[in-house]
Amino acid sequence: MPIVLNLSNDFQKVLRWLGHYRRLGRHMKQLQLARVHRSLGAEMVPFAGWEMPLRYSGIVEEHLAVREAVGLFDVSHMGEILVRKKDAGSFLQRTTTNDISRLNVFDAHYSTVLNERGGIMDDVFIYRVEEHAYMVVTNAINIEKIYGWFKQQESGDVEIQNITDTTLMLALQGPRAEQVLQQLTEFELDQLGRFRATSIEVAGLPTLVSRTGYTGEDGFELYLTGEPASNPARAEGLWNALLSAGRGVGIKPCGLGARDTTRLEAGFVLYDHELNEETTPFEAKISYAVKLEKGEFIGREALMRQRATGLRRVRIGMRMLDRGVPRQGYRVLEDGEEVGYVTSGTISPLLNVGIAMGYASPDIAPGARVAIEIHGKPRAAEVVNWPFYDTEKYGFTRRMT
Amino acid sequence: MKVGGYEVPEDLYYSREHEWVRVEGKLARVGVTDYAQKRLGDVVYVELPEVGRRVEQASETKSKAMELGALESIKAVVAIYAPLSGVVEDVNQALRDRPELVNTDPYGEGWVCLVEASNLETELKNLMSASAYAEFLKGLK
Repeated sequence: MPIVLNLSNDFQKVLRWLGHYRRLGRHMKQLQLARVHRSLGAEMVPFAGWEMPLRYSGIVEEHLAVREAVGLFDVSHMGEILVRKKDAGSFLQRTTTNDISRLNVFDAHYSTVLNERGGIMDDVFIYRVEEHAYMVVTNAINIEKIYGWFKQQESGDVEIQNITDTTLMLALQGPRAEQVLQQLTEFELDQLGRFRATSIEVAGLPTLVSRTGYTGEDGFELYLTGEPASNPARAEGLWNALLSAGRGVGIKPCGLGARDTTRLEAGFVLYDHELNEETTPFEAKISYAVKLEKGEFIGREALMRQRATGLRRVRIGMRMLDRGVPRQGYRVLEDGEEVGYVTSGTISPLLNVGIAMGYASPDIAPGARVAIEIHGKPRAAEVVNWPFYDTEKYGFTRRMT
Repeated sequence: MKVGGYEVPEDLYYSREHEWVRVEGKLARVGVTDYAQKRLGDVVYVELPEVGRRVEQASETKSKAMELGALESIKAVVAIYAPLSGVVEDVNQALRDRPELVNTDPYGEGWVCLVEASNLETELKNLMSASAYAEFLKGLK
């Protein structure tokens, strides 16, 4: 999600850019909830071919709502590919890196799609929705690429279908998420474990609900199912029911801005920032998405070779000691020598300091003092582990009070 | 006055880059407008100029010498241009710890710097009055 306002030094340029995209907006894909977002005062921006809400009230306020209460995101730009029929499982076992055989119906896992060189074509979530049916959730920017790749790799009794444009996907995230969603369903949500899904009625609408998310907090992702698949009235029904149910606990609609800052604080990777086709899951430190022992899959040989030869660079987290906002592309220095680069950065709304992820040689370990070159000047930073927040106070592992 | 939800105080001068100027004797206090801060969103960092730095009034063709600093929101970085030529006399140190003052009080506590203007009378003519800036904002819609 390489959001959004380009890093222009010129306000006029930024304004022209906004104007440009406002015109471009007519040619962008519109969310089913576009009208609702506008009526809530959202600033709409282009992202991956969609016109998306960037923020409603403000990125910091929305971010803090997710950490302290609950936030609601429309993430319908995410790609969904249905893979069905008898050989669906073996097809995904070959084209993705995690072990599909471990998924029971209504389990979900994080995985990657690799090229032959072991480079990441996309990072995905895979749900087993039926005995012989899986839903692969891709990044918005990669949906056409992955759909095309899957069609190219298709063999045996498999049916592959891109259902992105008709699928409403919402994310309800934050420590109050369960309390809010529980008001709208009979299903006992405390029975739904992390990375588990269920097909239930929410506010009277058939919905696939999973205990997953991209913020680091407890929460749910909801996919509206049933017929007709695309129907703004049903979409608005679900969205408005969730917002109403959350009113008492301070729910906020959240845009892509808060989605980016929350995922960054949690230390989650984002395609085109931490991940690309020249980067392997080992370098990106997402090896939990890879099960080398499961047998043959595309990219496995390259990963085996890399495991034998070792890594030349790995993903690191950095926390600013000086002031300044680290941004993608900035250089990372150690004793004046360039040792790495930033792939994502922001001011952490929670910590109120600059935080970043990037890549550096493997000998740059947590605790190391480095500098990030910001506006041409080296500013001190410390290499740290993610998540960037205190996991006893924030995130899904927090101690609930 | 208020234009499309943006405050435009009457007693200030304005630049096309959305800086404001308040004339205080020989000094000019500089900040960014309500429009600028609202379009930017939450300001999380302000890169302030060094005291003593000489700057040039910004023109259509921008140069480094016309930059006073930068405002950063979570999603954007924009330069603050010098609305007048002169020497930076003082900067708003409060913005180092509280950059959000630019959002909460753009014309007051969120001021950016004081410039000792070298050519005040002439250069003020290159800036806009409140009513002219209000028209300018309407044109941006």
